[in-house]
Order: sequence, then C-alpha cells, then structure tokens
Amino acid sequence: MLLDVMQAGGGFILLEDSVQCSARGLLRCFIHAALKRGEDVHVLGFESPETQVCAGLDSSSVQRLHFHKGFPDPLGWTCRSSFTVERFTSQHITQLIKDTQHAQASVLVVDSLSMVLRHHDPVVFCQTLQELRNGGVIKTIIGLLHSDLHQQGIVGIVCHLAGTVISVAPADNERLSVAKTTRRTKSGKVMQEEEYFSVSEDAALSVQAKPRQPGHVQRERDVSEADPTSNLTFNLRLSEDERKAKEKVALPFVFSQQKKSALLRPTPGSGRIVYEPDANDDFDEEDPDDDLDV
Amino acid sequence: MAAPVRGMAGSPSIGNTTSFQKKTRSKLVSIPGTRPSVQNGQLLVSSGVSSLDYVIGGGLAVGTLLLVEEDCYDSYSRMLLKYFLAEGVVCGHELFLASARDHPDEIMQELPSPIVDDVAGMKISEGQSQPSDPENPDTMKIAWRYQNQPRVQTALASSVRFGHYYDVSKTMEPELRQAAKCHSFYQLQETPVTTGSSPLPSPYHALLKSIQTVIRKEGFDGSTPQSKVRNVLRLGLHSLGSVLWGDDVCCKVNPAHCHALTTFLYALRGLLRTSLSVAMVTVPSHLIQNRAIMGRIIRLSDTAIALESFRGSEKETNPLYKDYHGLLHVCQLPRLNCLSSEVPDTKDLAFKLKRKQFTIERLHLPPDLSETVSRVSKAELAAGCGSTAMGNKHLDF
Repeated sequence: MLLDVMQAGGGFILLEDSVQCSARGLLRCFIHAALKRGEDVHVLGFESPETQVCAGLDSSSVQRLHFHKGFPDPLGWTCRSSFTVERFTSQHITQLIKDTQHAQASVLVVDSLSMVLRHHDPVVFCQTLQELRNGGVIKTIIGLLHSDLHQQGIVGIVCHLAGTVISVAPADNERLSVAKTTRRTKSGKVMQEEEYFSVSEDAALSVQAKPRQPGHVQRERDVSEADPTSNLTFNLRLSEDERKAKEKVALPFVFSQQKKSALLRPTPGSGRIVYEPDANDDFDEEDPDDDLDV
Repeated sequence: MAAPVRGMAGSPSIGNTTSFQKKTRSKLVSIPGTRPSVQNGQLLVSSGVSSLDYVIGGGLAVGTLLLVEEDCYDSYSRMLLKYFLAEGVVCGHELFLASARDHPDEIMQELPSPIVDDVAGMKISEGQSQPSDPENPDTMKIAWRYQNQPRVQTALASSVRFGHYYDVSKTMEPELRQAAKCHSFYQLQETPVTTGSSPLPSPYHALLKSIQTVIRKEGFDGSTPQSKVRNVLRLGLHSLGSVLWGDDVCCKVNPAHCHALTTFLYALRGLLRTSLSVAMVTVPSHLIQNRAIMGRIIRLSDTAIALESFRGSEKETNPLYKDYHGLLHVCQLPRLNCLSSEVPDTKDLAFKLKRKQFTIERLHLPPDLSETVSRVSKAELAAGCGSTAMGNKHLDF
C-alpha cells in the first residue's frame, strides 16, 4: 500500500518517525514521485538543506520544485532564510503558492511539522492545516512529524487529522525498516498494512511485504492438529460402508413428504387454550380460598 | 424453544419491552415518527438503528442528549450520526447538522437510503417457501417439526416496529433528502465574533446562538404559536471537542478552556429540555487526555454510549471477536421523571455493521445460575468402614 499512496497522492499524508529510524529518505521518495507526475512541489525546509532534496533530479523536475529555505535559520535570527516558522499561516502559504505561475495540482511538503508545532499553538496549527486542505489551491500536503518530540496528545490530534499516516520503525534487518500505513477513506473505511522498505541513494523505494510472524503460524497448526478420534482405545471412525448403512437407517417418526408439509403448515393460533368452565368451578376473584374450611 | 431468548432466568429487571401498547386518547399530540414510551410515558423518537433503540430503552426521549464516544478512526460513530439524520428525513423531522471537519452538505449526501420493504417481512416469506423444496439443504432430517420456527434471536430488537432499516451501500435519493428541512453550521465558514463576556470560546458560542435562533424561529419551544403540525428538531453535532472546534481539551492534560465543552453541553441540554428537540453529539474521547473532563462530559449528557472498534487493535485477530466489528459500551442511561432507569439485561454488547442493518448483539451468554444446572459431582472416594480396595464402589444397602 505504501507504493499506492506514493503514486496516488492527495489529502494529508503524515510521515511519523522517531530518533531510531528517520523518514526523511521516504519523504525524498515522495517528492520525487510527485515531480515525476508533473506536479508543482513546494518544500518548506526547516530541517534539511536544499542540496539534500534536489540531489538526483533532472532539470525539468528542478524547475517545478520550489524550495523555501528555512534551514539553517528557521526562526529568522540571522535573517538568512526566505521562509520562517512564524509565517506558517494559511494566508502566507496560499500566497506563496499562488505566486508561482502555471500552478496546477500543487503539493506542499513540510520538513518538518515538529518545528512548526514547537512555535505555534496546536489548535491554530490544526485549523491552518484544515484551511489549507479545503482551500482548493493545494492538492496534497505531506508532513514529517517526529513523534518523540511531542506529547502523546499532540501526536494524536495530528494523526486524527491526517488521511494517511505512515509510521516508520527500525526492523531487525539492518538494511530494511518497517513502515506501518494506515489509510482512511472518506466513507470511513480503514486499511492498514505493514511493509519492509528501503530507500536507495537515488530516491528509489523498494518495498517488501512483511513475512508473517513464525509464532502465529505455529499456533494455528497446533489448533488444527487436535483430532479427537485419534489415540483412543476404541474406534470412533466410520468406514465408507458403515457410513452408507448409517444413512439408510429408517428413523422413527419419518413421515412422507405430504404428511410433513401438512403438519408444518402454519396453523393460526397455535398457542390457544380452550377451556369451558365446569359447574363446580368457582370464579370468585375476591376470595379464592372461599371453599376452604379453615 | 421458538421464543427469542431474552434476559436471564429469574432476573428481577423489567428490561423486556412488551408488545403492550397503551391506548392513547387523542388529547396527546401525535407527532409523526414518535411514540410514547411503555415504561415512563416519555415521547420517544427512533435513533435510526433499531438495536440501539432497544439497548437504550425503547428510543431517544425528546428533550434529551445522546453522547456517542467515537471509535479511533471515526468510522462507526459517523455511521450512527448518518442513521440518526436519515431517520429524521424519513420521519419528516427537521434537521440541524453542525460539523467542523467535513462540510455538512457532504455528510447529508452520504445518508443511507431507506429500505422500503421491512426486513421482518422478508424473513417470514423465506421461511414459508422452505418445506416445499425437498433438496433444500436447510430442511432438517430429524427435527423437521421445528423447521419453520424462527431461529433464536441474538440480535436485540423489540417486537414493535418503530424505526426504519437502511441500506448502507446506496445513498438516499436527492428528492427525499431535499424534502426535509435541514439547517447546517460549518465551523470554518463562520466568521469569528467577539464574544465579550461569554464564558464560552467563540465557536461554541456561535453554535449555541445558532441553535437557539433555529429553535426560536421555527417555534420548537412553543414561543410562536404554530398553526401547522408540531414537529421534532433533530440536532447532529459531529466531533465536538476536537481541535477544529477551537478547543484544546484533546491536546493538553490541563487545557486553557477546560470548562468550554462542559458549559456548552450544559447550555445545550437546557435548550433541549425546553423544546421539542433531540440531539446526538459525537466526541473523540480517545483523544481527550484528562479523564476527569470526560467523566464530566458523560454526566452532563443523558444517554452515553461508547464505540470501540477492533480495527487497528490487537483484538482484531482474537477469534472471540471475529464475527463483529467492535464493542458497544453503554456508559449511562437517563432517569427521566422516574426513580430508576431502564437497564439492558446484559452489558457485553458487540456491534456489526451489515449492509442492511447495524446489529448490536450480546457477546456472551451470561452464566446459567439457575437451580436445574447439573453440577459436576466430585469423585467420591470409597471411604467406608469395611470396604476393601478391590470391592465394587457401589454401596448396596
């Protein structure tokens, strides 16, 4: 599913990583895939330099990539960056995107959202993302979030806002990492998948399906092996002839088909009790024990 | 054998709805889509899901608030909200829908379409056609007398048909949808107004004002004498308390406006009690960090249920839960004008979203504690004076 998400795009895609395993390589793959589709990509780089992102791109792709320099000065202390963290508001970003000419299907990549969340109120930040998503100018927003830099609540609300969440973690194998993709469609359907992936130098993504855990397979085999008719001192199995003879046995109360359907026909009032009161019956409701001699 | 299995034997609760219907004089105003409750005479509306109506005591009482705690990915709580609104459209009630994330028109377009034939009728016709078919694999060989009896009902339903059934795979016809009057409130499009001295932050204040205006203008609280037939207003508020409503109760343990949502619910319940309206509110409780606030929110609503979906959790692979999509917890039931509330006879409920029905079923049967259960007798050791070890264990007297 990771490759499908990368090829299709659309919506808010969140890449969640931690200090053990970085998702920046995966982010580069997403940028390259979007450029290959012919889309305009705007990168707000607060944590990585331009050279790292642009490496390995051909000239036509480089033209469609707009890198807004934030690194190495994201807060604007030495006035060397073109885009600072404070300017992360919906008006500024929409203006930035509208400034580029011939913009169709723009993709906004934020590297990283953690830097923005440190300096903005989370409520305002989420509202900004919602406005950008519904603005109509941006088709896809891809953000990188370092989950160990924030409290659990903040990571939770950003994941809740995202349409697709990809969490990366280290795998036992040195070369590969595990990516857990959760995709939510508009109709409420949720799809999840775990895959091994590796990113090469030229931003090519190779994905392998994760093999099933060996422990689970063993447990399934144990359950299917419990055959109750084995290891007994008497015989519980039937041979073919015995089975045929068993089916031929005439059961008691076996009626012909007509009598069965006649008995089965629904009768009206099948639970009625018909009672005719006798002369000796006393229906005095007030004192039911009137006939006792006590 | 054929009766639907309901309740434990000897259970003292009166949790079973009966087929008894009170003879109402025509003094009581009859509003389409409502019926009086059998237990306490409150006017009830259906929530759109007949199993849910059974669990919460017959239906939603008019003037109360139903709180739904959302599941992790908000798939089933959104479905419940759509059922609630679709029921309003079919019964002819007025709707008010407020949401911050998706536009209310998008939610309205996704409403499921009602099934015209009722499901119960279909089952009866299927049962009758069976005995004439000799090759039918369902015909029983030995117990054939019980062939036509209905199977044991594990799905909870009352015997009186009150709600409607919906087909989730189809959306409601636009003509049917537009016949219902719908007011909507989309948080993004509202201009922020200065609230001044209001204790509520801006979005909740605006929402409350909007609800109050609708109730007053359309005459649901009886302020304007209505010449036309009286009607019920159904309010659907999606994902209150989430960040997009301007509330930080989901991101911090000590939020700045910790009383915002609780004040809003208090004021909303006051509005509901004085008008002919019923509200369903969904809250993303899995994101709320402070459990005390969640407890207050539950206490401030009348009926509270929580949905727990198995999707994405380790319970998905548990074989016990393989037939179901999630668990349903009933957190609170209201005591309206009476001393005791209507408690369902079992609290282990699981739900499953099928194409034509949202069923809520008992997950386990309760332990059978009646007298007739045979107890496993302990192996009696042959202890008696004079019996030898080789003698038979049966003591003959």
